[in-house]
Amino acid sequence: MFSMILKKLTSQSLKTILTLVFLFGSWQLLALILQTPALPPPGEALKSLGAIFVSEIVGHLGVSLYRVVVSLIIATLLAVPLGLYLGKNKAADQISAPLIYLTYPVPKVVFLPIFLILLGIGNVSKIVLITLVVFYQILVTTRDAARNLAKEYVLSVKSLKASEWEIYRHVYFPACLPAILTSLRLGLGTALAVLFLVETYATREGIGFFIMDSWSSLAYDKMFAGIIAMGLMGFVLYLLLDGCEKIFCRWVNP
Amino acid sequence: MEAYLTIKSLQVDYYQDNRQITALKDVNLKLPYGTSASLIGPSGCGKSTLLSVLAGLNQKYTGEVLLNGQSPQENGKTALILQDYGLFPWKTVWDNVKLGLQIKGIARREYEQKTEEILRKLGLLDLRKRFPAQLSGGQRQRVAIARSLVLEPELLLMDEPFSSLDALTREEMQDLVLRLWQETKLTILLITHNIEEAVFLGQRIFVMSACPGTIIRELENPLAGDYSARGKADFWELAASLRSNLRRS
Repeated sequence: MFSMILKKLTSQSLKTILTLVFLFGSWQLLALILQTPALPPPGEALKSLGAIFVSEIVGHLGVSLYRVVVSLIIATLLAVPLGLYLGKNKAADQISAPLIYLTYPVPKVVFLPIFLILLGIGNVSKIVLITLVVFYQILVTTRDAARNLAKEYVLSVKSLKASEWEIYRHVYFPACLPAILTSLRLGLGTALAVLFLVETYATREGIGFFIMDSWSSLAYDKMFAGIIAMGLMGFVLYLLLDGCEKIFCRWVNP
Repeated sequence: MEAYLTIKSLQVDYYQDNRQITALKDVNLKLPYGTSASLIGPSGCGKSTLLSVLAGLNQKYTGEVLLNGQSPQENGKTALILQDYGLFPWKTVWDNVKLGLQIKGIARREYEQKTEEILRKLGLLDLRKRFPAQLSGGQRQRVAIARSLVLEPELLLMDEPFSSLDALTREEMQDLVLRLWQETKLTILLITHNIEEAVFLGQRIFVMSACPGTIIRELENPLAGDYSARGKADFWELAASLRSNLRRS
């Protein structure tokens, strides 16, 4: 058993290493072809990353990580219960559907100026904006998963005289959890994109700011060090979500 | 013997596309304590509607339905086994079986003991950590039965429980139901479209007609529960007679 896990783990890290070699190889090749200071070879970017990681990047990365993680948590806590409720209650779903579909396609980032005015230039306005964007993705996915749940499952606990809370706890939540985690993974990608955007306005903190700041001072090696750091942050968050899925949704691929 | 289950002029209507459809009409049925009964009929004859009424899941009916003198909602000592969806794929065998006891608010130590007992009885204890997807069809249905029996029901309702199983597993499961019925003496109502199954398991056999569903024939079946009956001429004669009944309905 243990050796099997170890084997799986080594094969997985081998794949990761191969992927990294491929990525950095293509980057190196592209840098050689283009010969422009705007795309330094990966060696320079990595050297710069090593040099300034502790002194400059960690601080910015910590702020960004805080913004993304808090946003994802708030969005999940709001969207999952609401999504499950709407998926379970047809009437509420029908009333809310037009509202959701009218507001969902509006790109929320256009409200950034308003949030900056209303909520200030601190973390709150950024977190609210990221939360709002991710909220919709989780809400719609969760609601659809709950809506499509086979009614037989619900009948089966109802015949045990389960309370509403128990129906959510034993049926709706676990049944929709794989979909919720998928929506979180999609949401994470969006959250990072929005993060970058909000960090380029009215802030001097965050990895987005660091990247733009390096760019405007033409320090391309630092800029790419920041991009690598941001990519790593996303990668670690993805791994965390994958881990959650392996632990909590074992039943999907037992 | 006193009747455990009494149904008097039961009628169930439902609406589909604003049209009123009568699923069941004038259904009358009596089952004494500890009887096993089978109900056969063409598909769409409202068999499942009848079960949902008995299980207390459908309260929109007219007529009288009494379980031990109580309405299905009051009674709550009925277990329902469905063909599919009986088990939650996201719960292990153990968690599936204990769920009912847990919802009933029984103390942890007691429900763990009862769960273990019933799993051992049905030979499922070694499979307790598996998820339904890791079980065969027969094992899954066995777990569904364990999950119902752990609640110590008075009435066991089964809606075509074995129709997706292969012939051998199916007979194995029929034997299991028979054994459990003989041991526990619960009242069983089995819905099936398999005539041999109806004859093997039902002391009483009810034949239903379709649209609206009603009981057109009721017969006593002395062959029920006789392991050797499956090969006897009487068994096949009864089955043939029921078959012609169904054709005419």
